[in-house]
Amino acid sequence: MTLHTNNLKLIVNQSPEVLERILRVARHRGFEVKLMHWNSERGELEITVSSQRAIHLLMSQLKKIFDVKQVIDLNEQIDAKSA
Amino acid sequence: MTAELVTDLTNNTKATTMRGADLLVSYLKKEGVDTVFGYPGGAIMPVYDALYDGGLKHVLCRHEQGAAFAALGYARASGNVGVCIATSGPGATNLITGLADAYMDSVPVVAITGQVTSAVIGTDAFQEMDVLGMSLSCTKHSFMVQNKDELASVLQQAFSIAKSGRPGPVLVDIPKDIQLADIEAILETSTVDEIASYDEAQIAQAIELIQQAKKPILYVGGGVGMANAVDELQHFVDTTGIPSVTTLKGIGTIANTKPYALGMLGMHGTKAGNLCVQESDLLIVMGARFDDRVTGRLESFAANAKVLHIDIDPAEINKLRASDLSIQGDLIKIIPALEVPLNIQDWQQYCSELKDKYRWDYNAPYRSIYAPKLLSQLSEQLPRKSVMSCDVGQHQMWVAQHVNFTNPRNHLSSSGLGTMGFGLPAGIGARYARPNDEPVIVVSGDGSFMMNVQELGTIKREQLNVKIVLIDNQRLGMVRQWQQLFFEERYSETILTDNPDFVTLASAFDIEAKTITLQDEVQPALDEMLNSKGAYLLHVRINEADNVWPLVPPGASNADMMENV
Repeated sequence: MTLHTNNLKLIVNQSPEVLERILRVARHRGFEVKLMHWNSERGELEITVSSQRAIHLLMSQLKKIFDVKQVIDLNEQIDAKSA
Repeated sequence: MTAELVTDLTNNTKATTMRGADLLVSYLKKEGVDTVFGYPGGAIMPVYDALYDGGLKHVLCRHEQGAAFAALGYARASGNVGVCIATSGPGATNLITGLADAYMDSVPVVAITGQVTSAVIGTDAFQEMDVLGMSLSCTKHSFMVQNKDELASVLQQAFSIAKSGRPGPVLVDIPKDIQLADIEAILETSTVDEIASYDEAQIAQAIELIQQAKKPILYVGGGVGMANAVDELQHFVDTTGIPSVTTLKGIGTIANTKPYALGMLGMHGTKAGNLCVQESDLLIVMGARFDDRVTGRLESFAANAKVLHIDIDPAEINKLRASDLSIQGDLIKIIPALEVPLNIQDWQQYCSELKDKYRWDYNAPYRSIYAPKLLSQLSEQLPRKSVMSCDVGQHQMWVAQHVNFTNPRNHLSSSGLGTMGFGLPAGIGARYARPNDEPVIVVSGDGSFMMNVQELGTIKREQLNVKIVLIDNQRLGMVRQWQQLFFEERYSETILTDNPDFVTLASAFDIEAKTITLQDEVQPALDEMLNSKGAYLLHVRINEADNVWPLVPPGASNADMMENV
């Protein structure tokens, strides 16, 4: 099985536990967090994850977190630009 | 604050000041909650003080897990939000299994927990536990109230989240100082989020898929009942004549008496249901999620069928099985839009022949009691609106197979989590959800029953008319069955010949009880139980060798069901 690496950007409500929620879902759904940049003032998280599973499986679960307002697949954005 | 004042505040739209604990009770009443289930303790004492004369019915369960399952049973049997209350630390940790159960089965529950005073959170104070942290994996959402001024809006959000979209449990952890603080607030009731509307073009595509199919089959899950779309689905089934199967949670959505209703599918599903699903060319999935107990080996599940998947939760679409077409939205609106006449007589006839060929055989040419037959007899005797609450194991599968339900709210079964100990407290909760002329029957096994047996105390305290059918094979039967079939008959820790005397146990709680062991005793015993005035425990001894059939072995295709070996 191939490992896929994806970059996501999440816009979130700034609840104290929102980062835990996101990381828990990533781990439980089978994604390893490789890199992340967290801006608590802006409520923005950029995260690089790696998994054998398709990224839509993580994105759809992250979108269900009440405090996550938006999940953006940065790979798709890059693809769109290069196209 | 006096009870009269609190009552008055319930209807007040102006900002008023009251203790946080009184605010909670006032809010629950304003929200329309009539009954809550719980257990007091140190960090929730202000709330219990407010409950003392707050005008809200509180049911004291005898363990917080019992309170959580009672709230679940109440929610499932009524369609409303169930509420449970516990103290900090052990009180809250004891709720966790119930919340996990509600999460797996998408049940709207709001759990209120006391927390130690804000100033000492994080100091390992007495009965302190990071309940918010513990709740992350087993709730739809959770809050720890951090500021007294957010309490009212947090409660409102908790109910809104529990009910909206795909329902689920929400936990609200309230530090003791906030329960005691004077709070000025306006209480506003929860709202339900609007469900995103689907694209009309998808409906047209779906109809095309359905009309092109020669062998379509409906695979119905719990989502149809939760969308209140049972009538719409039955109408759809009547109009289209489409054959159907249901999941464990979907049982009751389509009556087994409908000509092409093939019952439950999956590991202990009907042979006709599983074979027809395997042969279908279009699987119409409504409010279901391709659980492994349904699909068997996923790669071989309805391998030649296209998939039309309709669900409220986009995360379930393409999660385990890619769909050819999916519609995300409200089933109560989508189902009627898909009604089209179909020309599938050959397929209907085939399904109907299999249904007849593999119908249940209740012939039991021996004296000992055959539980499936007993449940079938009980099913015929019960009024349509009865509620049956099960535990987990062989008896649970027998109920799923042999009792005819006409609404999913009448069948309470821990489906996703499979929690032993669910049945008795869930039945207690259901008793409060339904009028007295609708019987509540708990069907349990000797293993499961002992897991929350303390709730007999709740039945006694509240004088509840709950009937209990305890099917006793002196074994942890389902595990024993698997040990027999797949672990070389090495019966590790599944032999319960040292069970207590259940009739004596019931009598200690003033519950009438009787033991039966022979088939001849079944009918009079069922009559006696159903005609009894209050709680009743019917202890049914069965042979430990009786197994649940048919069975899809682990890792096998649903086409390869084992039968009585």
